[in-house]
Amino acid sequence: MGCYCSTSKKTEAQGYEEPTILSSETPCEYHDPSLNVTVSEVEALHELYKKLSNSIVEDGLIHKEEFQLALFRNKNKKNLFADRIFDLFDLKRNGVIEFGEFVRSLGVFHPNAALEDKITFAFRLYDLRQTGFIEREELKEMVLALLHESDLELSDDMIETIVDKTFSDADINGDGRIDQDEWKAFVSKHPSLIKNMTLPYLKDITLAFPSFVIRTDIEESEM
Amino acid sequence: MKKVRRKIGKYEVGRTIGEGTFAKVKFARNSETGDSVAIKIMAKTTILQHRMVEQIKREISIMKIVRNPNIVRLHEVLASQTRIYIILEFVMGGELYDKIVQQGKLSENESRRYFQQLIDTVDHCHRKGVYHRDLKPENLLLDAYGNLKVSDFGLSALTKQGVDLLHTTCGTPNYVAPEVLSNRGYDGAAADVWSCGVILYVLMAGYLPFEEADLPTLYRRINAAEFVCPFWFSADTKSFIQKILDPNPKTRVKIEEIRKEPWFKKNYFPVKLGEDEQVNLDDVRAVFDDIEDQYVAERSEITEGGPLIMNAFEMIALSQGLNLSPLFDRLQDNVKRQTRFVSRKPAKVIISSIEAVAESMGLKVHSRNYKVRLEGVSANRVGPFAVVLEVFEVAPSLFMVDVRRATGDTFDYHKFYMNFCAKLGNIIWRPAGTMPNSNLLKQMTL
Repeated sequence: MGCYCSTSKKTEAQGYEEPTILSSETPCEYHDPSLNVTVSEVEALHELYKKLSNSIVEDGLIHKEEFQLALFRNKNKKNLFADRIFDLFDLKRNGVIEFGEFVRSLGVFHPNAALEDKITFAFRLYDLRQTGFIEREELKEMVLALLHESDLELSDDMIETIVDKTFSDADINGDGRIDQDEWKAFVSKHPSLIKNMTLPYLKDITLAFPSFVIRTDIEESEM
Repeated sequence: MKKVRRKIGKYEVGRTIGEGTFAKVKFARNSETGDSVAIKIMAKTTILQHRMVEQIKREISIMKIVRNPNIVRLHEVLASQTRIYIILEFVMGGELYDKIVQQGKLSENESRRYFQQLIDTVDHCHRKGVYHRDLKPENLLLDAYGNLKVSDFGLSALTKQGVDLLHTTCGTPNYVAPEVLSNRGYDGAAADVWSCGVILYVLMAGYLPFEEADLPTLYRRINAAEFVCPFWFSADTKSFIQKILDPNPKTRVKIEEIRKEPWFKKNYFPVKLGEDEQVNLDDVRAVFDDIEDQYVAERSEITEGGPLIMNAFEMIALSQGLNLSPLFDRLQDNVKRQTRFVSRKPAKVIISSIEAVAESMGLKVHSRNYKVRLEGVSANRVGPFAVVLEVFEVAPSLFMVDVRRATGDTFDYHKFYMNFCAKLGNIIWRPAGTMPNSNLLKQMTL
């Protein structure tokens, strides 16, 4: 589908899209949440994107190692959850995050994004095998990953108890897995579950990247 | 198997999200609208025992009067046979206090933004003759958009002057103006301004301007406004804070004057307020008018609050891999390893062990609701050092203690953590067969 516009500007990296198009574009084949960022926010995000995408491989695309470097200051540090986020950001499933994908995906984390979209994104994040449900074994795998990350060891019995307790609370119909409606009800009861889904930085992003503020001044004087 | 949910009126009640001296706060959902709320629950017996009926009634009425987008909104008041329920707006972003604890000091721009919202809110209330009197970061919440929400504006007077000052902030009155401490008659507006100044200092420094082990010294320093600005405060910031933390309430800068200060005016956008609507106090009257006539049963429920219960998804949310903030904040001093441990001891034993070990290491200890803040000077004496620990129940008789660096050098923190855990050894649980020193050794080689 013709969802992406090609640009003739040679100076821009591959995958660059005009900020006005990105900020006003309606959802297309990827079933994106509607964009919640303004033109100036898109341009500021581009400053950030350039830093991230050229930190290791200078090709203007964010690779997994560059993503890990940005999050952990260590390009080789593996993390199940960071991998899941990378995979969800990589809308084209081609192993890199392009700028358009970056803006669309971060839109869910904007303070103005709909709560529904944050809840849905978190559900897809935790649905490790993309079956449309959060399975009990998936939850156990994630708990083990967190314990490993924290250098903690618990007996299998303890882990089963933790998972059982959570499932008894979340799995309302008792079918052994959490569907999207159950997830929505569960998050409503425990809103701190999606606290990671909001980045206040996105509202202040023009302050975080002063070089863009200067650029804005220049543009305004040219009008 | 459908789970039975507890209901109060139209509200489905969830977990406990906070506790104070006189009240417990629970998360709940309005089953008619789906909106999230916080319910502050007070026992009628407690209210009667402390002769607080008129006081609470007045303060709740005040809270209805001071409607403002930056103040936690009071929806309604309900009562059962034994309890009063105050239905408040739920604020999703948590306490500003926790943000400082996790991040350490904030940038000047970020601090200024919160301070601007705080001043606007306090001024709005002062214009209606309402003074907070207990401003501190724990009463400042953040909504999902990162905006400030002042809580307990109408309920702060539940802290009586004098004796109860000892309970305002972990037992020390760090945010209270000097004239309040001396129990003279005082101007509520000037006192609130002082507290705002202390809050601004805390936001930008990451620690308190007045902090002493003994109360007499603390009182002396507050009365003399004896504080030092850290080196990272700009000259403008120092000058601005000194005008606010003026021990003489008559010469202390006023809110109108604060608004004219260049430091304050940078990137300042006042909030537009809507029309004042009619305030209906009928529900407050209905709840409180008959409370003193009510027969109070002799048996009172003694419900001691425990640590917050953490479910599996809340554990997962602790992962560094789910925190995208480092993408935006490259100045962030990243702790390389997560630091937390597990214990099977009772939660109170965990807390008392943490306190004892910290004191033996010469640290100052502040405990509140299964959260402990430890403060000291870093090994190389460069600056202040602070750590926060919080106990969570993850399964019956199984607790996870999350340990986070609040301020100070990363290297100092890791040395501290290893030393601290070695001393705590007896309460830290490890699987059978694991040698006590193996985890420590494993960490040291990383």
